[in-house]
Amino acid sequence: MSTAGLSIPFKAEFDVNSQEFSLSGVVRPRSINEIAGNISMLKAAIDQVRGVLYINVKRLVQMNNTAFHAFARVVLDACQARPDIRFVIVTSSVVGWTTRMFGHLNKIEPQITIEVYDSKFYPGQSFVENTSFIPILRTQTKMTWRHERTILPRHGMRSGITMADICCGIGDFVVLVQKEFQPARIVALDHSKASLAYARDVAAGFGITDIEYTYGDASEMLLEGNQFDFVSCRHSLQIFNQPDALLAELYRICKPGGRVYVTNEKNSHCLGEPRSQSIQWTYNEVAKLFSHFEMDVELGPKSRRYLTDAGFEDIVVESFMVTNLDGDAQDFADVIAAWEDVYAGEMSVKRGDSPEFIQRFRQGFQDHIFAALHPKGYAGWPIWVASGRKPR
Amino acid sequence: MDVAEKAPAEATFEPLLQIEMEMGTFLSNWHHCDQLSTFIARIISHNRTDPVRHSNFFSSALNELLEVSFRGGSPDGQIGCAVYRHGRTERVKLTFPCLSRQRQFFSEAVSNTRREDALARYLDSISTGLTPSRDVVLLDLAINFDAQIRLENSAPPSITLVVDLPLEGIVS
Ligand SMILES: C[S@@+](CC[C@H](N)C(=O)[O-])C[C@H]1O[C@@H](n2cnc3c(N)ncnc32)[C@H](O)[C@@H]1O
Repeated sequence: MSTAGLSIPFKAEFDVNSQEFSLSGVVRPRSINEIAGNISMLKAAIDQVRGVLYINVKRLVQMNNTAFHAFARVVLDACQARPDIRFVIVTSSVVGWTTRMFGHLNKIEPQITIEVYDSKFYPGQSFVENTSFIPILRTQTKMTWRHERTILPRHGMRSGITMADICCGIGDFVVLVQKEFQPARIVALDHSKASLAYARDVAAGFGITDIEYTYGDASEMLLEGNQFDFVSCRHSLQIFNQPDALLAELYRICKPGGRVYVTNEKNSHCLGEPRSQSIQWTYNEVAKLFSHFEMDVELGPKSRRYLTDAGFEDIVVESFMVTNLDGDAQDFADVIAAWEDVYAGEMSVKRGDSPEFIQRFRQGFQDHIFAALHPKGYAGWPIWVASGRKPR
Repeated sequence: MDVAEKAPAEATFEPLLQIEMEMGTFLSNWHHCDQLSTFIARIISHNRTDPVRHSNFFSSALNELLEVSFRGGSPDGQIGCAVYRHGRTERVKLTFPCLSRQRQFFSEAVSNTRREDALARYLDSISTGLTPSRDVVLLDLAINFDAQIRLENSAPPSITLVVDLPLEGIVS
């Protein structure tokens, strides 16, 4: 039996500027002597901080009782010796047992509190994990699939590979991939429990039982490194306030020689005829609106740079335009209507825009729908596809 | 005979996997605990709702059990680990040889997990002990993983720990 390459190395670090001591990976020592160095590091950290010490266990994948007791002991002793400092243990909702285990420390010493970092952690979370997005995502994927199905093989998709789809949403992309390309293993990760529940239902409806849908934070994944031939992340780099951090994670889980595949938009380039000016004005505003919430929906053409900076080689970039002529024009119109609901109906309101602005903002979406359904009209939604190979 | 052994649910648990190993071989390397728990967890979790996280939770719990047998077991004989499933619960049966005073110890530790003051004992041990006792490891499983733990009769010098882990409900 070999588990080579499966375990995540244990790491303890202290950053004095953020007063944060972090533990990550797998720590299962036989005796506390094996972690003596890390224990001293924690003690030294406590000596240096003022006010509060953050103990970050977000990426602590495994910790046995021996290690837990040793670290807990240091913190509990410090509570006695240093009533002037507070301890905030930062856990994640993904590794639920850490929250339970560390949670007990608060019952012993109220100076120790627990924070689950990902209960509210990225600026656009409430919009993006919003269930009202679910029906749009499905129609969107149906429209983009017509193109991606022929594009994917140029980016490394083939049968028998192991793949991960990160920020999988409602998971219909992987269902389509499974039917078309038959990869050997598919892991699909998202941070929306509602979307994942929906995804599992969709897969079950297709009689597909072997897609591993998992709850997680794409920027702090528990998945081991170097394990996938193909890692996709669709329409999602653009909604992260730190796309490079997410890309670093995609890189990490990809096998050397494997490829990371991302798709993104440049919303200001959505177009339509007739009424092109109103449409263009609105989509320019969409880009500004997202950037207000720290999301860059103009990212598409920047993906070459992002992939290069992340260390990928053999970068391939292409673009395609979803249009009202691809299939069902009504599908196109439905997607735009859903965008209007969320962008004008929720996000713009949340930003505090005036009713006049919102009315004009809505008009552009209406005009885009008009163009899509017009017998002589044309409406488009451009997408950029980019992939890069992780060096061997 | 242990009363719990006659629990009617017994029959409905379906076997998933069974591993046997010479105890001497198992004891030759501490990392066997980590490797076996990781390996078994992956295999049995593949058809759970969230296989990645189920496997993480299961590995945590199983590793503690294996560590307990590593620390408390004796080298002659076999260690056996079998995993069963019923609904949202996995059952681990871990059989290993140990000395008779260890048997006594285990039966006390197991009954402590069912006492009303289990949480208080657990907290007490975190706040006082420098290293966890095996007693505490079983309390940890009962408290943090909602485990139900009992001992099943097996031929001396072996003992069998039976641990029901309702992880599917905790994970998803
Ligand atoms: C715009 S949707 C794209 C979904 C899907 N890839 C598609 O193309 O239909 C973005 C997805 O990213 C997920 N997401 C956002 N932040 C995340 C995070 N930190 N970790 C994992 N998923 C996240 C959201 O829940 C949402 O499903």
